[in-house]
Amino acid sequence: MTRAPGRLSLPRDHPPGMILAMLAWPILGVVDPRDRIRSAGKRLTDPAEALAQRVAERVVDLVVEVLDVNALVLRLDLNAVLRRVDVKALLDQVDVNDLISRVDLDALLARVDVNDLVQRLDIDGLVEQTDLGAVIARSSGGVATEALDSARSQAVGMDQFIDRWVQRALRRNRPGPVAPGGPDGREPSFSPDGHAPSLPQPGQDQ
Amino acid sequence: MSGRPRAPDWVTSQGHYAGSVSRFLAFIIDAAVSAGLFSLGLAAANLVMQVVTGHSVHWTRANIAVAIIFVLWEFFYFGYSWAASGRTFGMAVLGVRVVRADGAALDPWRGVVRALVFPLSFLFLGLGFLGILVQREHRALHDLIAGSCVTYAWDARAARLRFLARDAEVSMNGSAPSPAGAARPGQAGGSV
Repeated sequence: MTRAPGRLSLPRDHPPGMILAMLAWPILGVVDPRDRIRSAGKRLTDPAEALAQRVAERVVDLVVEVLDVNALVLRLDLNAVLRRVDVKALLDQVDVNDLISRVDLDALLARVDVNDLVQRLDIDGLVEQTDLGAVIARSSGGVATEALDSARSQAVGMDQFIDRWVQRALRRNRPGPVAPGGPDGREPSFSPDGHAPSLPQPGQDQ
Repeated sequence: MSGRPRAPDWVTSQGHYAGSVSRFLAFIIDAAVSAGLFSLGLAAANLVMQVVTGHSVHWTRANIAVAIIFVLWEFFYFGYSWAASGRTFGMAVLGVRVVRADGAALDPWRGVVRALVFPLSFLFLGLGFLGILVQREHRALHDLIAGSCVTYAWDARAARLRFLARDAEVSMNGSAPSPAGAARPGQAGGSV
């Protein structure tokens, strides 16, 4: 059986002491004489603890400043570290839905150059190799459309054929402007793909 | 997805000056359509006159009044089409469009002027049309006067995609390509 801290027991084997203790018992039952020691100790230890903390922080700062983290990382065997990581368990702890809900997709998309992205796409290949072709064919296909496309492309081909021969017959070395728009007639408003922002856009003429 | 195969020449010709064949075919269609509409109108007028007056009336183009109405109708057909949308029915079929010489959309008044001076190009055996062949911007006499030019306006890229889509669908079905392949848009520009 342990004695309660801060409480004194009577010295039963020493009568004078017992008398004194009996006299002092009511006071000692209320006041613990070691409280003063504890209080004094606390006054000493608290500043020391704060000081030690400040010193430790400063030391850590100094060490970090001196430390070459890059060199340290280079010396690390990250593969070995990663081998020990249970990625599955890690991922189980991640709430992906919450993560996605925090992502500002508008800001993210604003940083993406969609035009550049589209330019990199091989649309022809995409149409040929995926079901997209069937979708386009079903949605826009038709005998009339096919005939119209064919007639137009044939007409343009013949235009170009005749134009080449006329240019040759007239012995023109320098080709003329191909499209209206610029001060010298050189298609400044056209992209390499022939789209003309100031001119009728696709789909308007059918 | 990164490599881009070269498309036929005609795919990139949108907005370029239209050539003689496209324009001539468009004019042929317009002439046929406008004459057909006029004939229909004439027949309707004959029928109405027969019902109203009770006796047969035959107006032909040999009639001077009918000839004048026909000329006015042609002015209206071409003038209204160019002023309203920059294209007639035939031009829409062939995918060409009248625009201002600087490439901007045609002002309505220019469309009307173009229709008014259009007959001038027929003078001297159609000498005014020679500009479509030899002028650097393929502009006829009436184009030069009205400050206009004719450009390709059809969506050739969409046409090419439609062609590729049809081709892909045929390949997936395992049947041979259609006979229309001989005149398919995917080859026309490259073959001439």
